[in-house]
This record gives sequence, C-alpha cells and structure tokens, in this order.
Amino acid sequence: MKLHSKLTLYTTLSKIAIVILFIWLLPRLVNDVASQYTNYYLREQKKKVLDNIQKKGIDYYLGGDSSYGSYTMLKEEYISLEPANMELHTDTIETSRRIVENDTLTYRLLNHVFEYGNKKYMLEIGKTITAIDQYNGPLQRVALYVLIALIAFTLVIDLIFTRLLLRPLGLIIRTKLVNRKFPFKEDLVPVKTSTTDFKYLDNSLIGLMNKIKEAFEKEREFTSNASHEMMTPISILQNKLENLMMDNEMSEASQEKIIGMMNTLNRLKKIVRSLLFISRIENDQFVKTDHIKPRLLVEEVVKELEDRVEARGIDIRLDIYAELTLHGINRDLIFQLIYNLVNNAIRYNKEGGKILISDQLIQEKSYTIIIEDTGTGIPQNDLVNIFDRFKKSKIAGEGYGLGLSIVKTIAQYHGISIDVRSVYGKGSAFNIIFPADMVSISATS
Amino acid sequence: MKVLIVEDEKTMALEMEAFLKKSSYLCDLAYTAKQAGKMMEDNSYSFILLDLGLPDRDGLEVLREAKKNCPDASYIILTARGDLEDRIKGLDLGADDYLPKPFSLLELQSRMQAILRRKSGLNDSKVPLGDFIVDLSRRSVFFEDQEIELSRREFDLLSYMLLHKNRPLTRSQLGDHVWGDFSESDYDSNFIDVHIKNIRKKMTAFGSVEWLQTIRGIGYKIKI
Repeated sequence: MKLHSKLTLYTTLSKIAIVILFIWLLPRLVNDVASQYTNYYLREQKKKVLDNIQKKGIDYYLGGDSSYGSYTMLKEEYISLEPANMELHTDTIETSRRIVENDTLTYRLLNHVFEYGNKKYMLEIGKTITAIDQYNGPLQRVALYVLIALIAFTLVIDLIFTRLLLRPLGLIIRTKLVNRKFPFKEDLVPVKTSTTDFKYLDNSLIGLMNKIKEAFEKEREFTSNASHEMMTPISILQNKLENLMMDNEMSEASQEKIIGMMNTLNRLKKIVRSLLFISRIENDQFVKTDHIKPRLLVEEVVKELEDRVEARGIDIRLDIYAELTLHGINRDLIFQLIYNLVNNAIRYNKEGGKILISDQLIQEKSYTIIIEDTGTGIPQNDLVNIFDRFKKSKIAGEGYGLGLSIVKTIAQYHGISIDVRSVYGKGSAFNIIFPADMVSISATS
Repeated sequence: MKVLIVEDEKTMALEMEAFLKKSSYLCDLAYTAKQAGKMMEDNSYSFILLDLGLPDRDGLEVLREAKKNCPDASYIILTARGDLEDRIKGLDLGADDYLPKPFSLLELQSRMQAILRRKSGLNDSKVPLGDFIVDLSRRSVFFEDQEIELSRREFDLLSYMLLHKNRPLTRSQLGDHVWGDFSESDYDSNFIDVHIKNIRKKMTAFGSVEWLQTIRGIGYKIKI
C-alpha cells in the first residue's frame, strides 16, 4: 500500500475511533456529571435546611406533628423530616423509590441523621431522576454534533495536508524510479520541496543514478576504444597468418599449428567484434525508424538458418498469426536478436528436437514472440546471468558467449523485455515482449 | 592489373601486397593521403583499396577526390571504424565495396573478383571445374547441359573454394565467408562439413568430384 493511502486510512480510522469512543463515553460522562452535581445540590439544600432549623427551631417545621414533609407541585423535589431511632451515621446518597401521594417516583435521596434537643431526627432530601436527567439528551446530542463537525473538518484538513506533504515523494517516485529503464538518457531534475528528508532522498537518488550513469559511460567508452584499438593488430596478425599458409614448402605439422593459431585468432576477432557491436548499440549508432511485420521477419530468420535446422533434423514450427506492425525499431538489430535466439534454440537442441515460434497479443498492452525449444535447457543457477558478458555455465565449462549479451543489449536499446523460462534437460522458452507503444494493429492484409 | 593500397599501417599494407602479388596483381603502396593523391595523378589503377583512417586526411574526403582523378578505378573501403554511417556514406560516394577490419585476404580477393565480374558483364564468368561448369554470375553449376541444384550456401562455398583453388581453406575461413558477421567460429565449422557433404552428394550423381579434397586437420581445397 502506498504511504499516502496508509496515512489517509490511518487518519480516517483514528477519527472514526474517536467518534465511537466519544459516543460510548458521552452518556456515562453526562450522567456522572449530572449525578455529581445533584449530590452537591442535595448537600447544599441540606445545609440550608439545617440553617433554617437552627434559626427557627425544629418545632417551626414539625408544628406539633411528629414528622414534616414538603414537595413542589410536580413532586420533583421533596424534603421530609422525622424522628429517627437509630445511631448517628454519615450521610448517604442513594437512588431509591418513594411513594408521594400515590405516585411512585424514583428519587436521588440524601439521608441525614442529626440530633436536636436530645432527640434524633432523620432528614431526607430528594430530587427526581427525571428532573436530574432532563438536560442529558439535548446536551449529548449537541455535543455529538459539534464533535462530528469538528472531526469532519479536521479530517479534511489532515487529508489535504498529507497530500500536499507527500506530493514531492510521489514526484520523486514517478520521475526517478517508476519505469526507469537503464541507461538513463535524459537529465535528472531535482524535485522542489521544503521537506529536508525528501530533499535528501532526492539528492541521494540523483547522485546514485549519476554515478551509475558515469560508470556505464566509462565502461562503454573503454569497450569501444579498446575494441577499436585491437582491430588493427588482429587484422595484421590474420593477414600474416594467411600469407604464411600459402607457403607451399611448409610441413604439414607447421601448417596445422598455423591453423590452430588462426582459429584462436578467429575467436579473438569474434569476441572483439561482438563487443564493438554491443558498444555501438549502446552508443546509439542505430536509428530506430524501421517498421516490420513480425511474421515476415521471423520467416526470414528461419530461412537464414534453414540449413542448420535441416542438418540437425530439427522440426521447426511457426505459429505467428497476429496481423500487426512493429515500429520505432531498427530492423537489422531485431533481426539479429531473433536470429541469435533461434540460433541458440537450434544449437542447444537435441538431434531431431523441436522448436516452436509463436506469438501472443495482449490488446493495448504488449506483443510477445515466444521461442520454445526442446533442448538442453539452462540450470536454475545459471538463469540469472545468461545475459551477462562472458558468464560461463557451471556445466561442462561451456560458455554462453556473447550471443545473449547482444540480445540483451538490443532489447534494452529498444525497451523490449526478455523473459526466460527453462527446465534443465527439457528445454527453454524465451519471450520477447514488445511494449504496447511499438505495436500498431494493421487493418489491412 | 594495377592496385593501389592506401593504408597507414605499414605491415598491413605489405601483407596485402604480398598476397595480391601471388594472384598476379601489381601493387603500389601509399601510407598517407598525400602520397595516395600523388600516385593517383601519375598512374591509373584498376583497384584502389582505401583505408578510411588515414593520419593526414579524412578517408571519405580522399575517396571523393579520388573518384574525380581516377573515375575508372574500382574502390574498396577498408576500415577499423566499422560505423554504419561510414559504410553508407562510402557506398554513396561511389565505393564498390566495403570491408570492415579485420578482414581475410581471401575475402578481399573474392570481393575484388566479384567487382570485376560485375563490371565486365556476364561474358567471362563461366569457370570449368572438372567435368562441370560453374557460372559465377548466374550462380549455377552445370554438368553438360544439366543444371545441378545447389543451395545458396552450397554455391557460396563452392565458388569461394574455386576462386582460391589449390589452396587449403580452413573451416573458419569458409564459415566467415558464408555467414559473415553472423558466424560463430567453433560451432559453425560443423555446418561447413554438412554443406561439403551435400555438395559432394549432389555432384557425384553426375560426375567425379575428386577435385574436392578434404585436408585432414585443416579443411578443404579444390585441386585442379
């Protein structure tokens, strides 16, 4: 998940959690406050009553009766005073029912026992729960609305701010990392941001990419120069050996030795030539303005290799049907790419083996040419580096040579990807995946 | 036939001269563009072999000027640069062929022969080979009046060996000629054997192919 999505999710969820917590807490809180306040209110009432009794004497209230009771019209509050035959104890406050004039009502009650003139009296002050709770509902509702409004407001602000804050990161990812194909051609522009972390990240990335680019350039230059410089001496050696070969007086043994030298020199020549070819591609010396019909090109490659296919008794099948044109490519290079892969499919096949060349068009996405063989296959360990220059296979000391390096270089130059699947001992399949922007579906033919 | 070799690498020029002399070409050597210009003024040549990497002037410029002085000569460009652009420019300027270094002297001679054939018309392109006639221009082989069907590669091999007759050719020399840039030395050699086998098989049906000899440990040669 992207950082921005995570932050958005986190902010939203945390706010929702706060609202839920608040909804759960609010009634309890309000009730608690109401009951605290009621207790306080009852105690205040008690003080006033006791003050009055001090001032006016208890008889003023009792008026000869043994007990006294008073309540408001709607029975929301009442006070009762009666003699008590019990020990003095601290005040109690409890919720309890009382019958007042045939109405059973629930009250919050303060119970107070006191001595007056050697007699003990019990004072009870009550307030109905209904009266206590009458503001709870509206109060809670208003509080909730205000809260939700505030939460919604802060949520919007948070999301906008997160978005603004993370924009440079997104920009760094989009411009520096996503779809970056090596070698990097265009210049790297620093992303504008006031966040130092992003600035640091961006600068480090630019630094790293420039370093890679520089190393690559150096290697490219070296390969190019070294190969060029080697061509002339190789040329001279080859011609000298050729002239030597024509010497009729030479013994058979010497002639054989010269052949050995020529073969070795030939190998050197091929390597240098391949390296030079690779460096030429990397130096952008090929224009990519051709367009081809894949079927025609593959047919041409197969024709070129016909004699080898025949000599090895290989059954080769072409299942290329897509009617389309690939454009923005260099024809010779793509020819070479397919040639090398088909050549390998023949070379590493078993006698009388099979090769299937098929294609696959995923609409609007990509076009793939698949070259499958029933050859020796490639061991899993080797799969990762078959495209590397001069990588030797661990089996039988046989190298894959530069053929696949050339394939890789051509593919990279065109933005084509190559996928390899292989089962050792059973065969390999190479997928050449052309990007969608190279493919145009032709209506004609 | 006179050949001017314009090549700044002395050893290389001398090797080319030694080789071409044996095929009875007369050679002049020029190591700089200046020398070459002077020689072109004083002599006329059938072939001018021109290295593009000369120390004193750009090879392509030399070519442009030479075409004016010696319009009848055939030009083969030799270069270690091997840039595609050079090749296209060179051919545009009227060069007849282009050989990237390192090249085989056998290949050079083969290209020169091909140019000669092209320029002289179709007349003298029929070469006898034992009981057979090889028509190099039409790329076909006849036994009396019957044409023998050879594949493109088989014909390439046969004509190359015929051109360099009586000289042992190694498998990689033959491979280089047949597959050019695509050739992969060791692996291709096997296919040379397959092709030779096919040539023998197809031609033996008509007449003797004793002239096509296998030379153990080396390769093949046509002996006539």
